[in-house]
Amino acid sequence: MYDGEFAAVVGPSGCGKTTLLNILAGLLPYRHGTVQVDGVPVKGPGSDRGVVFQEHAILPWRTVARNIGHGLELQGVPRQERRRRVREFVELVGLAGFEERYPHELSGGMKQRVALARTLCANPVIMLMDEPFAAVDAQTRITLQEELNRIAIATRKTILLVTHNVDEAAFLGDRCFVFTRRPGRLKATVTIHIPRDRRIWKEVVADPAFTARRDEILELVRAEVRVE
Amino acid sequence: MSSISVARPDLLRSARARRFWRHGGLELALVTLLALALWTAISASIARPDRYLPSPVSVLDSSRDLLWKGILPNYLGQTLWRLVTGSLIGIALGIPFGILVGLNRTVSEMCYPILNFFQSISGIALLPIVMIWWGTTEKTVFVVVLYTCFFPIAFNVLTGVRSTPRIYVNALRTLGASRLRIVRDVLLPGAMPSIATGARLSIGYAWRAVIAGEMLAGRRGIGWMIFSAQQVDRTAQVVLGMALIGVLWILLDRYVLRPIESDTIQRWGLVQR
Amino acid sequence: MTRFGRGRLRRILLGAIPFLVLGTLWQMNAVYRWLAPIHMPPPASVWSAIFTLQEGCPGLLDALRQGSGCLLTNHILSSMGRVALSLVVGLPLGIAFGVLAGIHRRLGNALEPVGVFANAISGIAWVPLAIVWFGVGWRTTLFILLNTVFWLVFFNTLLGVRGVPRVYEHGVLALGATRWKVITQVYVPGALPSIVTGIRMSMGFGWRALIAAEMIGGDRGLGFMLFVSAQEYKTEEVFLGVLVIAVIWMLTDRACLVPLERWTIERWGLVWRPS
Repeated sequence: MYDGEFAAVVGPSGCGKTTLLNILAGLLPYRHGTVQVDGVPVKGPGSDRGVVFQEHAILPWRTVARNIGHGLELQGVPRQERRRRVREFVELVGLAGFEERYPHELSGGMKQRVALARTLCANPVIMLMDEPFAAVDAQTRITLQEELNRIAIATRKTILLVTHNVDEAAFLGDRCFVFTRRPGRLKATVTIHIPRDRRIWKEVVADPAFTARRDEILELVRAEVRVE
Repeated sequence: MSSISVARPDLLRSARARRFWRHGGLELALVTLLALALWTAISASIARPDRYLPSPVSVLDSSRDLLWKGILPNYLGQTLWRLVTGSLIGIALGIPFGILVGLNRTVSEMCYPILNFFQSISGIALLPIVMIWWGTTEKTVFVVVLYTCFFPIAFNVLTGVRSTPRIYVNALRTLGASRLRIVRDVLLPGAMPSIATGARLSIGYAWRAVIAGEMLAGRRGIGWMIFSAQQVDRTAQVVLGMALIGVLWILLDRYVLRPIESDTIQRWGLVQR
Repeated sequence: MTRFGRGRLRRILLGAIPFLVLGTLWQMNAVYRWLAPIHMPPPASVWSAIFTLQEGCPGLLDALRQGSGCLLTNHILSSMGRVALSLVVGLPLGIAFGVLAGIHRRLGNALEPVGVFANAISGIAWVPLAIVWFGVGWRTTLFILLNTVFWLVFFNTLLGVRGVPRVYEHGVLALGATRWKVITQVYVPGALPSIVTGIRMSMGFGWRALIAAEMIGGDRGLGFMLFVSAQEYKTEEVFLGVLVIAVIWMLTDRACLVPLERWTIERWGLVWRPS
């Protein structure tokens, strides 16, 4: 992946996308091939690769603020500095006013925003996201996608997003890696040439360049599912 | 969390065997062997093992003697009999009491603290008083077991009835159901999980009470056996009795009480929140 | 729900009624002698038993130092002291082992059956063996108590740690946490509701086991006092002892343990249910 790129990994369910992400995150061992971040091989989980999980992995016994600041806490950042940075990211994900709430008081979408802020706040080299919006309703999902896009522009982070939703992959990704069904292999790479700041659902839906690419990916994925 | 019943029994048996080995069956076997080995080793290395830690073999040996004389089954029978009679009656009294009290909010608020109070005085603590009243008789142990069983289940049933969601009661009222009908169709099923859990707790407490009662009141049984064996330095019998108590309880709890409880909760638990 | 509103007052008043009824019946029995005093001592004699037992006691400080002659307070302090000691030793051990067993699957699977069996041999059944090992006295009762506390806390901690979703660990690992930090910042807090329930259970069962152990194999403490007084047919002392036990337990449970349990569970966003 290139620095600052937003890549999407898309494929039918069970093709191994989550496994791939876990390997990249260092949570699963691998036997063949190599995974390197800036030339350094990956040996285990670490703060250089931040992960946002599908399930709400934020700790229920910590407030929003303490969850977001967790990465900095582990890095030993002093409290004043930590509080400043946490405030920044609270604003960024639009959760101002909720700093002292506990996760069980938040909706699903808000919890994911906390997870997002937590990962970003720890300033990883690359952010890995495993179907982060799968557990929220369709309306919230669209909102969160646009927000994620906005955040990607603002932070210029390198992001890898795993999803089974083709629309999501096409909307967010600069490059979409399409996988075959199990055992998953890289089938094709589809590049979306729409500039990041023009990725708004209302606009993009009317753009034939987008829909063409999106349909291309859809066909590729469908072909995998159809062959039964 | 519902269970799916399998129609092929032979498949089930081998599946269960596989589950056993996968879910720590190997560890269980290893730990048992290791524990027995360790036990034998320690027993062999200390002075006077027959007094302080008889080896597993000698424990089994002592059981042979008792079994032969028919003492062991007799004692087991007595202990179980006390447990069963005391707890059945205690539970049979506790359930209706809990339901009746739970029906009315004022009555239940009235009875809650005093039930809590008596629940915190364990039956064992009352043994001395009961012994003053009725001496070291069978009645003493029976009464204590009864007491021990009554309060936990009455308490649980009370809480269970109180916590049945109001909407179900109201729904039936709008259908024109009589008080009795509401009890039968909503409150009783709604209280079933509490009844099951309360019964399991009660029997657990009662088990301890029976053992203690036998020890203090001198009634023949497993509890009495380990107590008197200690007094004549027959430690092997003590350990045997302890092992029996452990095994009995595990059998009772895991294979009778808990399955009944989870079965009841599964079937009736839909009414609970 | 208002904490000190009319609802609470009403409940307190209602709840007191059965106690008042029982108390009245008790006093009436003292007057009308339906039951002989040796079976049902009058309330006044139970009250004065406090002073009889404390007769030789020089003063408050001596009572606290378990001076001779302060029989009642000596017994109370003995029992409570043993409870405190068993908590100080048993809790950290139980939690530590429980966490270890919860994290390492194999170890947990190996230790769990040991715990199940140890628990199944209820505290009281250990008394004769404990007497063989430690003789009649405080060592036996302490052992029984420790046994009960340790295994219950161990068990509940084990279950609590196992119940923490793995994904929390992964999430925190991806933030750069070390193994130790994962334990202290994910598993221990995550298991805390279960741990507190375990503490509460171990106190409940432990207290009962203590009284029983003191009765059968002890030489001091409240249980021992009950036993001795019963032998001497001093029913008023037995009644007093039972009341003291009930009061101590209710104070400990309702004033400390239940609020602690409730606070922990509610903070986790779970619904607290009286167990």
